[in-house]
Amino acid sequence: MSRERVHVIAGNAFAISDAQGDMEDAPDTPVGLFSFDTRFLSHWVLSIDGEGLNVLSRDDMTYFETRFFLVPGTASHYVDADVSVIRHRSINDSFNERITMLNHSSKPADLTVRMDMGNDFADLADLADAAEGRGPRPAAQVTADSARGQLVLRYQRERFVRETTVTSTAPSDVDERGMTFRIRIEPEGKWETDLHITMTIRGEGARDLRNDLESHRNHVRGGMREDLGAWLARAPQLVAERDGLEETYRGSLADLAALRYTPLAYNAQVPVGGLPWTMALCGRDSIITCLQTIAFTPELTPATLRMLALLQGGQLDDVHDEEPGKILAQLRYGESAAFGDRPDGLYYGAADTTPLFVVLLDEYERWSGDTALIRELAHPARMALDWIDEYGDLTGDGYLRYQRRNERHGVINQCWKNSPDAIADAQGREPPFPRATCELQGYAYDAKLRGARLAREFWGDPAYADRLEREAAELKDRFNRDFWLPEREYYALALGPYGDPVDALSSNIGHLLWSGIVADDRAEAVAEHLVGPRLFSGWGVRTFASGQRPYNPVGSHLGAVWPSDNGLIAAGLRHYRFDAHAARIAAGIFDMAQTLGGAVPEVIAGYERSLTKYPVQLPSAGRPQSWSSGALLMLLGTMLGLRPTGDNLLVNPALPNGFGRVELLDIPGRWGRTDAYAGDRSSSSRSRPRLR
Amino acid sequence: MGTTAARYLQQLDTGRRPDLPAATSGTVRLDARVDGCTDHWYLTIADQHVRVTRSADDADLVVRADTAVLDGLARGETHVATALLRNDLTVRGNVQLLMLLRRIFPGPAGARHPRELGRAALAGRDGRS
Repeated sequence: MSRERVHVIAGNAFAISDAQGDMEDAPDTPVGLFSFDTRFLSHWVLSIDGEGLNVLSRDDMTYFETRFFLVPGTASHYVDADVSVIRHRSINDSFNERITMLNHSSKPADLTVRMDMGNDFADLADLADAAEGRGPRPAAQVTADSARGQLVLRYQRERFVRETTVTSTAPSDVDERGMTFRIRIEPEGKWETDLHITMTIRGEGARDLRNDLESHRNHVRGGMREDLGAWLARAPQLVAERDGLEETYRGSLADLAALRYTPLAYNAQVPVGGLPWTMALCGRDSIITCLQTIAFTPELTPATLRMLALLQGGQLDDVHDEEPGKILAQLRYGESAAFGDRPDGLYYGAADTTPLFVVLLDEYERWSGDTALIRELAHPARMALDWIDEYGDLTGDGYLRYQRRNERHGVINQCWKNSPDAIADAQGREPPFPRATCELQGYAYDAKLRGARLAREFWGDPAYADRLEREAAELKDRFNRDFWLPEREYYALALGPYGDPVDALSSNIGHLLWSGIVADDRAEAVAEHLVGPRLFSGWGVRTFASGQRPYNPVGSHLGAVWPSDNGLIAAGLRHYRFDAHAARIAAGIFDMAQTLGGAVPEVIAGYERSLTKYPVQLPSAGRPQSWSSGALLMLLGTMLGLRPTGDNLLVNPALPNGFGRVELLDIPGRWGRTDAYAGDRSSSSRSRPRLR
Repeated sequence: MGTTAARYLQQLDTGRRPDLPAATSGTVRLDARVDGCTDHWYLTIADQHVRVTRSADDADLVVRADTAVLDGLARGETHVATALLRNDLTVRGNVQLLMLLRRIFPGPAGARHPRELGRAALAGRDGRS
């Protein structure tokens, strides 16, 4: 079987197969059909007369629809088949595969077509975390019903029931391992069947749980193509001189469309993290995605804010690392979440999501002018602001910190660099807990300032606004005193519990620019580090600077390059007017995205660009990922210098050389729709004579 | 041991609950099943107050479960969201109100405030030096 994977996606439902369209369970890769964190099909293999098929070509029509063109027989040098096969699959709440067989010969073809089917109803979280192991699980029950042409696979643990039902429109012999079709196709004739798979989550009275939820009843699926067309039409239109930029832009928009889903008990679409491991609502990923895309697809933001407000922490709970006012880290629906084997049904182990929630709320108002939402969410926003000091300041020194209380399954590093070894000093020593990473302080500072604006302008509470502003100013002073490493001219990655700095040079300092917590006279040193040889790879800013002991170009947070990280960094550089620095980063990330083609990966290796010439992908990196696709949009907005000021959109472009003319038309916001025009230095010199 | 849902709801504080969103109001009916009978508890939520009555009237959200499951909620042993995922608790209507139960019922007993961990870390250093 080839290594290539082919996917179709619709929100948190997705199917991953090999290049032939077959799904065969393989270690380390979540192959099969999934929905709501559960595998509904792990085996789906087509054969003709006992032989596998050979792929001729494929048409990835949209993110939710693919056609495979195949012939019988395994790969050979010369394929001259009398029969050809088209597998046309699509996904929404259910999965459909139309199999069409064409007989190209002048004689009738008598064939045995077989689809093998099976499932283990695995929890996606278990596949992601195979090392954890699992206790014995009940086996799936299989019911083959030839008369109705259907195969039912059912999994039950107590009242938890998941069911896969496969039906065929053409008559078939159904057995417990699949369906067999004994067919005759006339000369130049064709045969086809629709195999339809429904994925059921049983609720009350054996109905699908989702049917009991008003929000899902009201949510009319269908018209997915129209939906995608409308999504693209609502987004601004990009006209760009640079080759491939328009395609990359539209691809990113389509990725974002693919990664929207409607949570249970909700009535609007929010972004999931991305394929394959985080096809779930992740507080951090969804907030960052919204921040990246406000200028392009603003509809994601109110839905996300409302959803996160609904699930805001309400109690102290060690298992879920939950506190009142805290914003969610992750929402999952799998078996392990249901039975408490993992705390990720509703898990709150993140120290950044809560301040970022406030940042997003304020930013959205600046763009949209939606003051009703600001009033509606006043209570959750104030709870979030209160959380920062009441629950986030663990040692009482005024810094936002984290330490997990669920010591078995809780996340160790509760910041965006969430791998267990991500927070270390230049020598590789990891600080004790609770830890205060630097970017968390920037987010808290920004949240307080923005909360103050909301309190003064919309909540009618100037005293609260004054208090928040005073706290923000104190935090900035304190931070610039305690985190700054004067001899190295950058901010420490973190402070340990006793205020001892973790001296590593890391990309986190770029987030500080984005949040505005950097003292003006230190911004240049920070900017120079970000594009200096230790941090900048040529494609983007490394998470962790080279030359330090833990540096590893393939270490997710110890040297690799994340587009989402770079999006925030470039925006931060422009806040402090380092336009050329920002342009360099934007150019590197766009070069990377366009060189690789397709959806932007979550992360690439931190190797020097001049060394590898080609972006080196990490096997663990998923794509599409909402905050990677979103990062390209954010970088585009940063290059154009888009910023709402009052009721107008300010455009202040600073394009990298080689981008030529760039026009972004119909940018939505409180101004209605408006356009932004930009050109790099070469294009402005070219256009100058025409202006005279 | 500990309380039951019935006792918890009978004794529920009728004062202002600042942790409930001021903008959220609605009615929730809890149907507690035991031995073929169903007890109805009717919660009216408005202006950060919760009023509990006994009524089988229709509500914005109807939650059904065995009495034992609701008792688990009242003791802070069961999370309302995982109970829903397990299908131990079923819902009909406006499910956005469901998460309010997380705030109306208590959290788990013995949960630590994050500052306890911070204090322990600082005390650990003092002990060491």
